[in-house]
Amino acid sequence: MWIAATTPLSLAGCEERLSAVHPAGPAAADIATLWWVMLAGATAIFLFVMALLVLAFRRGPAPVSAAAETRRERFWIMGLGLGFTFPVLAALLAYGLVVGERLHTRPGPEVVTVRAEGRQWAWSFAYADAPGRMTEGILHIPAGRQVDVAITSADVIHSFWVPRLAGKLDAIPGHVNVLRIEAWAPGDYAGVSAEYNGTAYLGHGFTVRAHDAAGWATFLAGDAP
Amino acid sequence: MRDVLRISVPLTIWLASFSAVYGLQGLVCSPRWGAAGLGLAAGRVALVAAAVAAVALQAVLLLGLRGPRLAPASGFVRGVSLALAVVALVATAWTLLPVATTSLCL
Amino acid sequence: MNALRRHRLLTRIWSSEPGWKGWFTTVNHSDLGRMFLFVAVLFFMIGGILAMLIRAQLATPRSAFLGPDVYNQVFTMHGTIMMFLFAIPLFEGIAVYLLPKLLGTRDLAFPRLTAYGFWCYVLGGSLLLFSLVAGIAPDSGWFMYPPLSSRAASPGINTDFWLLGITFVEISAICAAVEITVTVLRYRAPGMSLSRMPIFAWYALVTAVMILTGFPPLILGSILLELERAFDMPFFVTERGGDSLLWQHLFWLFGHPEVYIIFLPAAGVISTILPVMARTTLLGYGWVVAAAVALGVLSFGLWVHHMFTTGIPHMGLAFFSAASTLVAVPTAVQVFAWIGTLWKGSPRLTLPMLWILAFFATFVIGGLTGVMVAVVPFNWQAHDTHFIVAHLHYVLVGGFVFPMLAALYYWMPHVTGRKRFFKLGETAFWLIAIGFHVTFLAVHWAGLLGQRRRIHTYDPGQGWEWINLIASIGGFVTAIGFALVVLDVVVNAAVAVRGSRNPWRAGTLDWAMPTPPAAYNFASLPLVASREPVHDDPDLPARLARGEGYLGDPARNRRESLIVDIATGEPAQLVVFPANTALPFVMAFVTGGIFLGMLLKAYWLVPLAALGVAALVARWVWSLGSTREEGPQAVGRGLALPLAAESPDPPGWWGSLFLLLANGTLFGSLLFGYAFLWTVAPGWPPAAYPEPGLEDALLLLGGVSLSVAGIRLADGALRRGSGAWIGLLLGLAGAGATGLAAATLLLGTSHDAHAYDATVWVVGGYVLFHAALTGGMTLFLGARAAAGYVTGRRLGEARILRLWTDYTAAVALLGLGAAWLPGLAM
Repeated sequence: MWIAATTPLSLAGCEERLSAVHPAGPAAADIATLWWVMLAGATAIFLFVMALLVLAFRRGPAPVSAAAETRRERFWIMGLGLGFTFPVLAALLAYGLVVGERLHTRPGPEVVTVRAEGRQWAWSFAYADAPGRMTEGILHIPAGRQVDVAITSADVIHSFWVPRLAGKLDAIPGHVNVLRIEAWAPGDYAGVSAEYNGTAYLGHGFTVRAHDAAGWATFLAGDAP
Repeated sequence: MRDVLRISVPLTIWLASFSAVYGLQGLVCSPRWGAAGLGLAAGRVALVAAAVAAVALQAVLLLGLRGPRLAPASGFVRGVSLALAVVALVATAWTLLPVATTSLCL
Repeated sequence: MNALRRHRLLTRIWSSEPGWKGWFTTVNHSDLGRMFLFVAVLFFMIGGILAMLIRAQLATPRSAFLGPDVYNQVFTMHGTIMMFLFAIPLFEGIAVYLLPKLLGTRDLAFPRLTAYGFWCYVLGGSLLLFSLVAGIAPDSGWFMYPPLSSRAASPGINTDFWLLGITFVEISAICAAVEITVTVLRYRAPGMSLSRMPIFAWYALVTAVMILTGFPPLILGSILLELERAFDMPFFVTERGGDSLLWQHLFWLFGHPEVYIIFLPAAGVISTILPVMARTTLLGYGWVVAAAVALGVLSFGLWVHHMFTTGIPHMGLAFFSAASTLVAVPTAVQVFAWIGTLWKGSPRLTLPMLWILAFFATFVIGGLTGVMVAVVPFNWQAHDTHFIVAHLHYVLVGGFVFPMLAALYYWMPHVTGRKRFFKLGETAFWLIAIGFHVTFLAVHWAGLLGQRRRIHTYDPGQGWEWINLIASIGGFVTAIGFALVVLDVVVNAAVAVRGSRNPWRAGTLDWAMPTPPAAYNFASLPLVASREPVHDDPDLPARLARGEGYLGDPARNRRESLIVDIATGEPAQLVVFPANTALPFVMAFVTGGIFLGMLLKAYWLVPLAALGVAALVARWVWSLGSTREEGPQAVGRGLALPLAAESPDPPGWWGSLFLLLANGTLFGSLLFGYAFLWTVAPGWPPAAYPEPGLEDALLLLGGVSLSVAGIRLADGALRRGSGAWIGLLLGLAGAGATGLAAATLLLGTSHDAHAYDATVWVVGGYVLFHAALTGGMTLFLGARAAAGYVTGRRLGEARILRLWTDYTAAVALLGLGAAWLPGLAM
């Protein structure tokens, strides 16, 4: 158990430690897919526009007449400017909103609730299932279960970001923001504060330690995890 | 001045209604809304009603700008202002669509 | 009179004083435009050096070159300088230099205001530069989020330099915006209707109106944050009813339009240059105008997309995600209109064209990544990483710097009158274009691999080393390219051969003059019948020089130009411009006293400097107009026009109107802040609300009615030729009562107990200030009437006062009403 939990630590330092494109949970996976889809679409559009641009230099002068001008306006502005962009943007917006809806937290019976408080330059975590229990710098969660992190700040604005598990959400004094995270497998996942917060911003990180069911029970019972 | 107004008013009204609906959404999700004894369902109704009213206002404006009463000095101003009125109508519908499609206060 | 003699006479009337003294007394737009451009480029070089420090630091992991304290100042100042001291002033410089020439007029609407704005820019910029050299530069990031920038977390003077220096610089942006708006609307060549305006003028108009409505939220935010830091008024302190998110709203209400304020002038440059390089006309002029206006307004509905990770409910985010995708449509319309223009003509691969192609390749990528970050879930990952750094550099460098380089090489023959000789520019082009993409393309990927922006170094082994090393090398190549551009300009300005008058065969009026241009631009003003007057009549420049246009006779020996009707371009008024004066420089200097007093906490200096500014403003305005009735004056081609000073809507009225637009936006932002805190701030309500007594309400209503009625009485009396005394006295009493109502509110509230009280103080102070201002203006008008400047035929100044009085009445009712509302509702 002890070994199982520390093995990923030694892997920390490999390339995907903070990578948003190496997801280890459903939210990060949804977003990574979204990114790859957008990258493919953007590449296609970019090549298309560049091709149009290059072709402009390979043609002789076009006919000059009012009718030709109207035809050109219809093709370039109505056709490409409006007709091409509107459907692309509508599809992208709809896709983004559907994913966004899915990633927003909804209360459920199986959801584990924890609390994260950022301050210059540390993070402390509390647990609804283990009242009174506080950890510094390491957030313990059960693997394979949805976890709601209630995020707030004691001083300036920070941001709670575990790139391999989910997007980031700000820790703002006086506000509590809830982020849904989930890790597919037990292990350690690096987290950082992602809102610039002063001199020691660089080192303002934390670790999310995902336990298997037995490890989580041990943690809640108060034994050393 | 009338020509400048013809060109600027439709989108300015979009901006006003867009900001107003966003403000209303903020109010619905704030403690003030609950304190006034109103629920989220009432909030949704208010938001949808506001969005529909904003779209209707733009449609009326577009019809008005097409009419003879506000005739501009030139065909150019007429063309540009009508195009912008259509833009404002589409923008109102497009940007306020989330009142009906997304979750309210999550 | 021959052309040479006309040139000599006009030059004597219009030119600045010789020698160094001329720099401080010039009000000529060509001079001030060049001065703006020079200083902006200077700041670009400083910002560029800071960028090189950043790239040097990030080139290798665990670099000890810069510590976090220095690095934080460096990246904050890099962003601040590039945004506020380079991009916006560069646009101002181009507009100041070019607009009158493109529009076929002789100067901008308010020459002294141009000079005042320039000096505010120089002095405010110097404040920030001083802080950088002294090692006490702002270090909270260029968007200065409190509470990090509040006193508790940033006790030093660093943040104050930012808040005060930038606000000082913003004065110049507001001045230039008022100037540009009024100039484009009213100072054009006769016959230049809206549909015949050069396309750049449309873009400049949209940009200027955006500055008028986009900058006030930032100015307000800076004032509030400085008040919090100086006097402990808790606008952003959660425990005392404030909310740090208020700053983010105010900042991005400015910050997003700002991006388009930077892009639109560049788009205007492309729309101007690209058709010339393709030897054709712009495809879909009307569509492009509509797209520019649409872009300008839509960009005000995007601000929350910088706040997608602040925990705003999904519906709120969805509104802004929708608006952020929608804004891509007018951008796409412009891009395709430009490509269509290239297809229509036969494009030449000149140096300006190369820069435009670099713009396309870069800006399209920036636009596409912009649409990506408009998608909420992706934004949660990309936000505050190097992905955003790469995106914003693609947009700003691709969408602004590259088009500006196209503009540089397009208009350089105009400014210097010479043609390029060496091929340095082409070498520089390849270095910069390739160097830039090497720097920033892979940086997107570093962001996705988790490299946050603003970290001063990083550990090896995260896949970032190669990307950062390559980026740094690319960055230095880019910097060498920029150095070559500067060298190119210097060499060409100094030793190149004289060029021909219209080297690009362009059709716009800026080329209908000898180059470098004379101080008066046009020896006589053209009558315009199309969008490209020089193409209609290639002989036009010579005919204008021969005095065949309007105002070709300098006999009246003063700086004259024409004011036209907004829509049709029919000539309407003859305007007389002020001559050289050091007043703007002196006033900028005294204005600096206000900011210096705040900065050094020498608060006694603030009211003293403010009084000095008021006295100088009175001196400034007093010198306008005349006590002598001139009646209609001959302006050439058989036309006689009334003087602007003898018209009911003189330039000052239009200037006031647009200044009040900016002012109203500031007040609107203040009310927004109040409503925002009331709705969402965690620490509300305060312990108690002030409840107005009946006498307070009567004071307000009576004051407002008196002042509004008084100025109308005075106006009517002046028109009938009788004394305006009764009306002016009533107006004065009204202003006094309004001010008293505001003062009562202030006295009944503590300024620092709670964010509510602090807000009420600002609202009340705003009303009090405006009541005092209107009162002062009323006294001033009385003095002007007594001295014979204001009469039944010269009502302009009374109309201006009416505008301000009505505005003050409106803000008094709205502001005090809003402040009292919660107390009344209890």
